[in-house]
Amino acid sequence: MSGEADRPLVVGGLTKEFGSVVANDDVSFAVSEGEVFGFLGPNGAGKSTTIRLLLGLLKPTSGTATVLGADVRDEAALTEAKRRIGYLPAHLGFAEEATGEAVLDYHGAMKGDGRRDELLELFTPPIERPIREYSTGNKRMLGLVQAFMHDPDLVIMDEPTSGLDPLKQEAFNEFVRQERDRGTTVFFSSHVLSEVRRVCDRVGILRAGSLVELEDVDTLLHRSGKHVRVHASDAAVATIADLDGVVDPERFAEGVQFIYAGDVNALLRELAAHDVRDVEIGEPPIEDVFAHYYGSEETADGEDESGETADRSGAEETADGSEAEGTGAGATNA
Amino acid sequence: MLETARYEGRRRLRGAAILTAGVGAYAGFIVWYFTVLEGVDYEDVFENLPPAMLDAFGIESLSTIEGFLGAEVFNFVWLLGLGLYFAYVAGGVVARDVETERMDLLLSFPVSRSRLLIEKFAALLVPMIAVNALGGPIIYLFVVAVGETVPLDHLLLTHLLSVPFLLVCAGIGLVFSVAVDRAAIAERGAVGTVFVLYLVESVVGGAEGYDWIQYLSPTKYYEPTPTLIDGSFEPIDSAILLVAFVGLLILSQALFERRDI
Repeated sequence: MSGEADRPLVVGGLTKEFGSVVANDDVSFAVSEGEVFGFLGPNGAGKSTTIRLLLGLLKPTSGTATVLGADVRDEAALTEAKRRIGYLPAHLGFAEEATGEAVLDYHGAMKGDGRRDELLELFTPPIERPIREYSTGNKRMLGLVQAFMHDPDLVIMDEPTSGLDPLKQEAFNEFVRQERDRGTTVFFSSHVLSEVRRVCDRVGILRAGSLVELEDVDTLLHRSGKHVRVHASDAAVATIADLDGVVDPERFAEGVQFIYAGDVNALLRELAAHDVRDVEIGEPPIEDVFAHYYGSEETADGEDESGETADRSGAEETADGSEAEGTGAGATNA
Repeated sequence: MLETARYEGRRRLRGAAILTAGVGAYAGFIVWYFTVLEGVDYEDVFENLPPAMLDAFGIESLSTIEGFLGAEVFNFVWLLGLGLYFAYVAGGVVARDVETERMDLLLSFPVSRSRLLIEKFAALLVPMIAVNALGGPIIYLFVVAVGETVPLDHLLLTHLLSVPFLLVCAGIGLVFSVAVDRAAIAERGAVGTVFVLYLVESVVGGAEGYDWIQYLSPTKYYEPTPTLIDGSFEPIDSAILLVAFVGLLILSQALFERRDI
């Protein structure tokens, strides 16, 4: 036993079809021990399908995966491995009438709860109250507590921070870094680039069911470019927009905005050479990153729609719309 | 061990209490009504009814408390009402958790699908046992309170023999529950199936050439009125019900093992 087989998560040619819809198409990657791996993609790309295949909730059409050495098609082995796996689904379907405490008691009885008190200091759902009174953020925090409280070796999370307020998101990011330092392997999906870049060592990017990129976060950020918005005179705007590395320049009344994928210093020198009234340089929205990565041979809307259908038919994960908040297109055209 | 059965069983306590209270109240009303009707020669009333209808409602001898209870409480509540109730409740056992995605969490536990299914089903024993173990004494106390008697052993037997029948009804619900994604559809399908089987048994009983159809219905194998009146029952009937229940359970397991959640 060496190399690939020892890694806590190995996915090989994983394919899942729902009828004629291919939700996962020959997805392959591996996650090393103590690594934080981000699984990035627009809504409906098939991220939840992959995650649910890893947990044995769905049966692969072809290909397979091993989690902590257990083949996901081997129920007995996978069941045994689940003692050391934490899972946070995208939609948390806790029993509505139970209190958070009763839920944790049950989950604890099933898999252990050694770190429960420590986690409840960090994430603070009102455990004495029934779940039906919980906000999305409170449910998410309860979900995080149950995912980590048995001190798992591998944690798989589907959109872990959706619904968390910014303070708790930051607490979560810090917590994940600490967990990694303790040797825990973390795999989570997200459609928010900024979340992934803060905590992940490596990312895989899924689009329309296929894994299109697998790389470390620095490379991703370097390649994804910056979102730049400049207020300047028409003449200045024209030269700036001609710069190497400017993608999709869009003129508006007082200036121009574009994605900049070239050398940052060149951009700054160019800006300094003009009378610039205002400038914003920031992280691009993920849709623009994808557009930059894969061109725009298809409109984002069309892609989202087909992907959304893929996930719906399999998992009905967007039943409450919780996953569809990121892209306006995905949320409205279903 | 059995954490799921215990947890799910506790969640059933409230429903079991309401069910038992409702059935007890209805039985109280029926026993009181029997005293009101006393002296009325109401067997004449039913004389003109077709035999199929008398059979359907289990009407045998309404002038005794046993016959009255058998027709109005056991045939009506146990055979029809509770049969439908357990089919309905079992219809939601898996389908509701799949629909609310709670099943995602349950299947992330280190427990096999078949074990999870059995334990969740076992939680239905809470209302099933409560309604029999408490319903029986409640009925007996009501009967004694109005100055009548009913043989204790017959009453006990009638309750005991209802369990295999109710298990089959719940088993039908469980098959729907694992086969269908939406709870409402599983519940309606299960209730509809048990109800149709009940009607079919009542209707084809006298139809020559087609009377074999009645043997498909679980209601054919549980006849509370004769048991209550004279303690008679066919052991083979209960055996058939238990075999059918095990078959339904195995079928549910096989379907649940293979499906995507």
